[in-house]
Amino acid sequence: MKRTKSINLERMRKVSKYSPVKPLTLVVAASSLVACGDSREAAIYSNVEHCSQDNPSLTQECKAAYQDALAKSSKSGPKYTSKSSCVEEFGENNCTVYHASNGNNWFMPAMAGFMFSQVIGRNHYDSAPLYTSYSRRSPVYGQWSTVDGDLYGKRKYGNVRVGNNAFKSKPAVVKTMSRGGFGSTVSAKSSWGGSSSKSGWGG
Amino acid sequence: MLRCRTSERLHWRKRADEFGFKFHTLYDEPYWDESVYYQFTLQQIEKHIESPTEELHQMCLAVVDKVVRDEQLMRKFCIPEHHWDWIARSWKSGEKSLYSRLDLAYGGQGPAKLYENNADTPTSLYETGFWQWLWLEDKVNSGDLMRNADQFNSLQEKLVNRFLDMRHGHEGQVLHLACCKDTEEDRGTVQYLEDCANEAGIPTKFVYVEDIGQGEGDVYTDLDDQVITWMFKLYPWEFMLREEYSPMLEKAEVSWVEPPWKAILSNKALMPLLWKMFPNHPNLLASYFEEDLPGSNLKNYVKKPIFAREGANVSIHIDGVETEASPGPYGDEGFIFQEYYPLPSFGDAYTLIGSWLVDDKAAGISVREDKCKITQDLSRYVPHIIAG
Repeated sequence: MKRTKSINLERMRKVSKYSPVKPLTLVVAASSLVACGDSREAAIYSNVEHCSQDNPSLTQECKAAYQDALAKSSKSGPKYTSKSSCVEEFGENNCTVYHASNGNNWFMPAMAGFMFSQVIGRNHYDSAPLYTSYSRRSPVYGQWSTVDGDLYGKRKYGNVRVGNNAFKSKPAVVKTMSRGGFGSTVSAKSSWGGSSSKSGWGG
Repeated sequence: MLRCRTSERLHWRKRADEFGFKFHTLYDEPYWDESVYYQFTLQQIEKHIESPTEELHQMCLAVVDKVVRDEQLMRKFCIPEHHWDWIARSWKSGEKSLYSRLDLAYGGQGPAKLYENNADTPTSLYETGFWQWLWLEDKVNSGDLMRNADQFNSLQEKLVNRFLDMRHGHEGQVLHLACCKDTEEDRGTVQYLEDCANEAGIPTKFVYVEDIGQGEGDVYTDLDDQVITWMFKLYPWEFMLREEYSPMLEKAEVSWVEPPWKAILSNKALMPLLWKMFPNHPNLLASYFEEDLPGSNLKNYVKKPIFAREGANVSIHIDGVETEASPGPYGDEGFIFQEYYPLPSFGDAYTLIGSWLVDDKAAGISVREDKCKITQDLSRYVPHIIAG
């Protein structure tokens, strides 16, 4: 047979399902608490002490997990150019200054807690930062949110069951200085011979 | 190789809606035309298309290997000088490519002739890999075509496998995919690749080329300010290498699909160089740079811009006189001259074969028909089968 043996038609079915363009910075998505399959136990703590009290034999692990969560937060957490837009999303007294490498300052929510979870079958612990909001207008109000805006339910400490990808590395988020530096040739060439064409720049 | 008339599937437009094929009709003219199909024999496919495709591809790669080591040739290919090292490195370190399409003139007999290599941003991928595949399924299931009818088209399978392959080394990374705004066809092609990548378990995210941002620390960002680390772009390197954000390309450390060395492979300057390195190869047409034309004895030729899309700015010259020409905005970078070898005609249609490659393997064909000798973006796409 010289053709593809089988195709997953479910995946190919569309009915106009292009992924929507997301709005700015924090994009809130449906809860990522999962019931079965690709999931594991995690505990949510507010800080190192909280974690150590619960796990007296794991003080070092708690420290490391907390530091790791902080690092992930500054790498991948939501960032805002103005304090007011951060406050609008996360509430008063909940935004901190983030010093970017080139000396610019921007604002991001303080890490309100972190997830702590043993890697199944290994003597190693994963962590991930969590945010919450004190602003009633925010969808994150009273909830836990991950760096990429997944909501993990009501803000309370203790045990949760989460998907494994909660601990996967997340894309870094940085301040965008400008947009539109690609695509200029296409508009120049399009202006030749009428404005609209079905065809793009494929050959 | 036969051109056969057939009835259209009753509800194919509904089927197209269901599967998101949005550009089957353009300017009230059919682009997808299933009132005809082409029938090939297995021998034609394997002997005349499949194996020459892989051989031609290897010859083209040999050209790339020569060009990246030769400054004079890099200049000939109009590669901006400040990108030479970067492009050479992308080749020498073996950065993986995804796909390409060789355009062949073939009418059922004799050696197929290579027109050009669309190695960077080939389209009509969805129509080939999925839609004509589905057409055959439907036609066989309805009894319109015999159950043993086959198709030279393992494109989707090979794309998914190639993505699986690429996933190693990009574990946990998001693949961004980009095309330009306001082009239904390109958006559809990118959506298709996104589906194939997802099928291989790769998380994906779409961003328009025009929306890509420059983040602090010399990185590219999407609209959520997330750093782009791995990107498929349906946007030609020859444009990108010259645009405002191009100086950042080296520092940004993005893993690009297609990789930067495709700037050489997709370049029309490839054709004269192929002819120089593999003279009189049965699947090649004599091709020359402008300065070599006078000594070449080439009287009937096609003049093509070094950079161009969809048959724009192509002209046909017979005994040195221009007889046909297509308009367009290209040509500033110079032209190449290729032996005139008209497309085979079936009835009033001129037929062009697109032969696809994924991971250096021939992966199937697309057949396009045009009323003109120069295939442009309004040609019709028709399906094919293998029988006998």
